[in-house]
Amino acid sequence: MTLLRPTSAAAPARPAVRGRSRSRRGRAERRPRLLIAVTALFFALLYLPIAVVTLFSFNSKKSLTVFGGFSLRWYRAFVHDDVLLSSLGTSLRISLVAMAGSVLLGVALALGLVRSRTRLGSLAGLVMLVPLITPEIVTGVASMLLFKGLGITLSTGTVMLAEITFSISYVTVILRSRVAALNPEVEEAAMDLGATRWQAVRLVTLPALLPAVLASAVLIFALVFDDFVLAYFTTGVDPQPLSVRIYSAIRFGVQPTINAVGTLMLAGSIGLIALALFIPRLFGRRGGLDILSGE
Amino acid sequence: MALLPRSARPRRRGRDTTGARLWTWLMLPGTLWMTAFLIASLLLVAVLAVGTTDALGNPRFGFDLGSVRALADPAYTEVLARSLGYAVLTCVICLLIAYPVAYTIALHGGRYKHALIAAIVVPFFANYLVRMYGWSVVLSDDGPLLRALRAVGLADDHTKILNTGVGVVAGLVYGFVVFMIIPLYAALERLDVSLIEAGRDLYGGPVRTFFFVTLPATRQGAAAGLVLVFLPAMGDFVSAQLMGGPDQIMIGNLIQDKFFQGQNWPLGSALTMLLMLVLLVGMFGYLRRTRKDEAEATR
Repeated sequence: MTLLRPTSAAAPARPAVRGRSRSRRGRAERRPRLLIAVTALFFALLYLPIAVVTLFSFNSKKSLTVFGGFSLRWYRAFVHDDVLLSSLGTSLRISLVAMAGSVLLGVALALGLVRSRTRLGSLAGLVMLVPLITPEIVTGVASMLLFKGLGITLSTGTVMLAEITFSISYVTVILRSRVAALNPEVEEAAMDLGATRWQAVRLVTLPALLPAVLASAVLIFALVFDDFVLAYFTTGVDPQPLSVRIYSAIRFGVQPTINAVGTLMLAGSIGLIALALFIPRLFGRRGGLDILSGE
Repeated sequence: MALLPRSARPRRRGRDTTGARLWTWLMLPGTLWMTAFLIASLLLVAVLAVGTTDALGNPRFGFDLGSVRALADPAYTEVLARSLGYAVLTCVICLLIAYPVAYTIALHGGRYKHALIAAIVVPFFANYLVRMYGWSVVLSDDGPLLRALRAVGLADDHTKILNTGVGVVAGLVYGFVVFMIIPLYAALERLDVSLIEAGRDLYGGPVRTFFFVTLPATRQGAAAGLVLVFLPAMGDFVSAQLMGGPDQIMIGNLIQDKFFQGQNWPLGSALTMLLMLVLLVGMFGYLRRTRKDEAEATR
């Protein structure tokens, strides 16, 4: 995701900034107490809702305001709730299919977009940006109308199709910069050694992209699993994806089981995001791109 | 490339043309998919906005401006005005919160700054509904926030956040403040600290230095953040549903209602197009602004 880029892009600047901050401290600047207090307050409010959901998922009472003692009651309720379990299965299936489909199409698209210099390429590049600047409710409404217009009954399948469509953009955005960072001369070297263009892509380029591809796959899985708006507009009657089920549950009164499901989902997505951030490290500090990037 | 013997070049150029064909083939499935499922569906919304419904409420294609004209109904303009107001307010509050946070982390975060930014981004990827639900519990009438405010005398027993406009904006801010922090952090990270030092050397106080040096240098980050927050805030319907009462609905709730409860698809499509129009105006303003900035920078 583009959102994550600043963190990694900032890495090379580190020593310089550290040096500067030392020189600033040399000028005997006060620590900005007010700023640090505001930031601390922000972090407290950011994590408070997550902490509340987690805490009350272990409540022995039904209340959302009084903590009666530690219990696994609501987790047990979830494990015995067939409706929620079938929704969980549906969400897992949707995420897996959307992940596979969007990664396949997205990787090919990213390669084509970066290397192609045709007019079709620049047009496709623009189309790719549309989902990123369109609010989800609009894309949700639009997908639903398309399926209904084509006479397709809304179901798990339509959610899969819609999720693939909007995940392609993410995969492409993540991989475009990676592909652009690859040195095309290595591909050319492979071709000078007798490989065809396709063999060069398959044997040289794709392995170099593997860490980024895996990271984006994990990210898409997490995003699709958590997605609500698109799923809400494109799902059929039964069995609905988990987030749609949660939506109807929290609209109609307090159900503490949702705290348990929510906690599991929070843990799951945080774990997956951490994994996505960690994958490139597994392949060496710079995502295994050192060998091939021109830098 | 230059190291290769010259004789190798024509041969490779011959290959490059077959290569170009490969790139087109790679690009084709994804592009076709996106055209079929995305562009076609967006066009369908535009077409249905000028359609009608038959006696049974089924949508019919045609050219009828009934739904578009219905948008002028005060009931809808009021909702649109409220949505705009809430979205703009959300943008302003997000900026006021995000600036000090991004500034503190970028300039005073030291070796913890990557960890701190990750600590902001990671929960953002957690399920939106679960986060919003947790936030609504925090803001509820006997939730932790109001209890704390009552304890220090900032609120009394009648103070409510949930089911008010304050609740809706609080929900939108919680949902999207990350979109403001990230571009601001990126801008502040790139900021040349020696500029601030120069400001100080020229006897500018911290306040003057901030307004004449730091803020102008990071305004592009702020502009990007404003767009990134305005876009989803304007289209959101979860916050108004969970944190606002029935009299706090936003345009997103209206659209949702027309498609699910009201079953008036042409009107829902017209509302969707109206939402898109508002956002496009916002995007256009942003692009003009950044282009002007770039033109000034290159002059």
